[in-house]
Amino acid sequence: MASPTSETLKIWVFLILPLPVLVVLGYVVPTAGVLGWSFTLPEPGVQNYAAVLEAQRLQTVIWRTLRICLLTTVISVGLAYLIAYRWRFATPRGRQLIELVVLVSFWLSMLIRAFAWLVLLRGDGVINQTLLWLGLIEAPLPLVRNEFGAVLGMVHFMVPFAVLPMLNSFREVDDRVLNAARSLGATPGQVLRDIFFPLTLPGMAAASGIVFIFSLGSFVTPALLGGGRAVMLAEYIYLQMFQLSNWGMGATLAIVLMAMVVVTALIFGRLFGFKNIVGGLK
Amino acid sequence: MKEKQEFLEDALMVAAERMKRGRLSRRGFNAGLAALMGSAVMGAARRAHADTGRVVVVNWGGDAVPGFQKAYAGFGEASGLELLVDGSGPSEGAVKTQVNSGAVRWDVCDGEMYSAYRLGRDELLEALDYDVIDKSLIDFGDVHDHGVANYTYSYVIAFDTEAFGDRRPTSWKDFWDVETFPGKRTLYRWMSANLECALLADGVTPEELYPLDVDRALAKIEELLPHILTHWATGAESQQLLRDGEVAMGQVWNTRAALIKEDTGGRVDWTFDGGIISPSVWMVPKGNPAGAKAAMDFIAYALRPEVQVKLMEAYAMGPVSAAANDLLSPELALANPTSPENFSKQVLLNNKWHADHYGETLERYLALIGA
Amino acid sequence: MSQGRHSGLRPGLLLSRLALVLACVFLLLPILIVIPLSFGDQRYLAFPQNGPSLRHYQALTVDPWLGSILQSLSIAATVALVSTLLAAMFVTGIWLRRRFGTLLTGVVLLPIIVPQVVSAMSFYYLGAQLGLLDSFAGVAFGHLLMVLPYSVITLLVAYNRIDPAMFRAARSLGASVGRAVYDILLPNLRLGLASSFFMAFLMSWDEVVVTLFISGLDVITLPKRIWDGLRYSLDPAIASVSTTMVALTLIVMVARLILAERTERARRLDPDD
Repeated sequence: MASPTSETLKIWVFLILPLPVLVVLGYVVPTAGVLGWSFTLPEPGVQNYAAVLEAQRLQTVIWRTLRICLLTTVISVGLAYLIAYRWRFATPRGRQLIELVVLVSFWLSMLIRAFAWLVLLRGDGVINQTLLWLGLIEAPLPLVRNEFGAVLGMVHFMVPFAVLPMLNSFREVDDRVLNAARSLGATPGQVLRDIFFPLTLPGMAAASGIVFIFSLGSFVTPALLGGGRAVMLAEYIYLQMFQLSNWGMGATLAIVLMAMVVVTALIFGRLFGFKNIVGGLK
Repeated sequence: MKEKQEFLEDALMVAAERMKRGRLSRRGFNAGLAALMGSAVMGAARRAHADTGRVVVVNWGGDAVPGFQKAYAGFGEASGLELLVDGSGPSEGAVKTQVNSGAVRWDVCDGEMYSAYRLGRDELLEALDYDVIDKSLIDFGDVHDHGVANYTYSYVIAFDTEAFGDRRPTSWKDFWDVETFPGKRTLYRWMSANLECALLADGVTPEELYPLDVDRALAKIEELLPHILTHWATGAESQQLLRDGEVAMGQVWNTRAALIKEDTGGRVDWTFDGGIISPSVWMVPKGNPAGAKAAMDFIAYALRPEVQVKLMEAYAMGPVSAAANDLLSPELALANPTSPENFSKQVLLNNKWHADHYGETLERYLALIGA
Repeated sequence: MSQGRHSGLRPGLLLSRLALVLACVFLLLPILIVIPLSFGDQRYLAFPQNGPSLRHYQALTVDPWLGSILQSLSIAATVALVSTLLAAMFVTGIWLRRRFGTLLTGVVLLPIIVPQVVSAMSFYYLGAQLGLLDSFAGVAFGHLLMVLPYSVITLLVAYNRIDPAMFRAARSLGASVGRAVYDILLPNLRLGLASSFFMAFLMSWDEVVVTLFISGLDVITLPKRIWDGLRYSLDPAIASVSTTMVALTLIVMVARLILAERTERARRLDPDD
């Protein structure tokens, strides 16, 4: 049997280190290099950051990103709460069904969803054609290639992300507590408001944090469904890199985006504990 | 671990310091960083130049890809090189990004003429070899150190005939007139001729168009914004929007307009009236994979009058050579942007103006349309 | 769990049930629309007009779609294998020696937290330096780093279920580390390893953002081709690809559910466990 120290060494060299070393060399170093451009391109200095603070067009994009993310978070967490709530009180078979729906939609490629929404929401798409046929509208509604389309697509993408972390906290609500409240004369509405809701709040908070953070980096959905009218930070970074070839500004906006992610994570972490957020990811 | 990190930081700082003093080019800085990552050996794996056995020509995608393939089908036989057509769009930024990052994938770009001026100025393009390329063949369009006109195309008005009854739009004034011609519009996303169209719509005459009054043009575009369904980014997207009736009128390339008319059995029609005509350009990114020689050979081949005619046949891209125009059938001449009767209805885009102002104007334009 | 006992505990049940149905319809709507479209019989994207047809599926059996499918399959399989292997090594290591575990895990999970578009920039830059842009190796490497965190999380969860005492017992009876890992850990990790492989495979198969930055001419994965199809025109082949992918996803998910249920049952039946 090898001595404990040489064994520890082997474990470190052969098991533990390869992965972090790979991540540092293949990811952290190049990312640092890229982010460094924000100070070096087109020339050394902080002019890129000054531009972020001053230029109207950059701030428009940042505010639009925040607005779309906030809207997406509120709507998808609301929908998810409803689904999780109904799941909590469903029969085992019902639960399985709900889980299946959520998981199918969770694993569905975002490109395919975007494709489907485009087909559904276009001017001559299924929804507009149906509404026209019913005589409810006279001209097609602008449902896609704008912020509405982008938000709708993002909500659709995020609902499963919000449901999954909620299920845990909903499961933990003890039937006996609810029964006790009922037997003490609380109305169903009171039970929901005063007992059920507070108990499920941490799960909801975790879900909100996850959805907001994931939304911030959205690229594909707003790019395809926003049609150039709902350009969010990620798409704008792509634009800066590949259309305007402004690498310095691309890197600067990447830092802004990451700062937004970190600040959101810190706020939610401080308010509700990191464990909840990270646990919710699973 | 800590030491390693410090070493890394030191090395980065030294490199950054040197770069600041101009002793290291950015390429050098990048190479240094790559070496630092233990990748010096792998760097050799980078595709060797001048030996790819193929020429990659990039254009703007969709139906233009088979168009090029058809028109230049004879190149393989003439040169022994395989021709590969990529449709991902050689926008100025894309070329710049490839050359700056040292990862050039394209040999010959079918780009915008003003981009060729700008990229050439930034030393991102190979100089063209006019011993190989016969510049006397160019009668329409620019010939300069880094770019040569390859075909002409027009930004034209295409419209849904069912949307306006008997009325046909014939000018950019009509395009902006949503009372007489109600319905959604679409314009090109990367600006190009949009400022010209807006100013013509605002009553500026073609003679006094340049230098462009950018503020006035942007204000005029802003006026139309509520009626613009979307700004198309690819030619195929413009086709889809008109074909599926999502917009009633669009500013599109004449090449695509002809295809839409065909696809819709004439429901969507178009006109050269008011069209903004511009030469497109052959340009070669610096350090192109197949080597400069192969790129020059391709350009020389593609400019042969009979090959220009093939491109017009395959894809309605107008010849830049009067000799080629003479070879066109009367039918094709009707669709040719540079045939005399069509040419006289249109305004010539001043690529030199765009060469000087494109960058900052594009940013303002993109900000206006919501990007 | 009788229905009666709970009836009073489900406030707003009727209303929420209706809302639930609507929410589920919303979630499934894209799938419901894509399936009939995929059986369209026109050259362009449309619902079947003279009865269903398989023409858009035929398009998938020839290039360029077939090439992209094969490329995506081989990249995803490679990535899933390597990702699971690397993650298993790492997680086994920190399970055996807990020092710096949290810190190192944090480093490894970074690619989840960093917005994808930023990661994509890094891979573009790295790929350009190494001459790996638009190559199998380059795209696979980008995918690998994007899916690794998920493999690690999956395996961390799997390890949480293993009792360290069992491992220590084997070691104190004289088994080498390798022997103990092989005999004690592996059998307990099977589900976790399979999950990690599935997850990594699906995520690589589905990856768009990084791929958009670093591929283009020689490597065109399926998602990249779909993206092009969406940008350039509404290619009807996308509908048949989508339907196929939905079907495959369903199969994989049901397989996973069955596998998980069976393992769970086996565990419950085994009193020693």
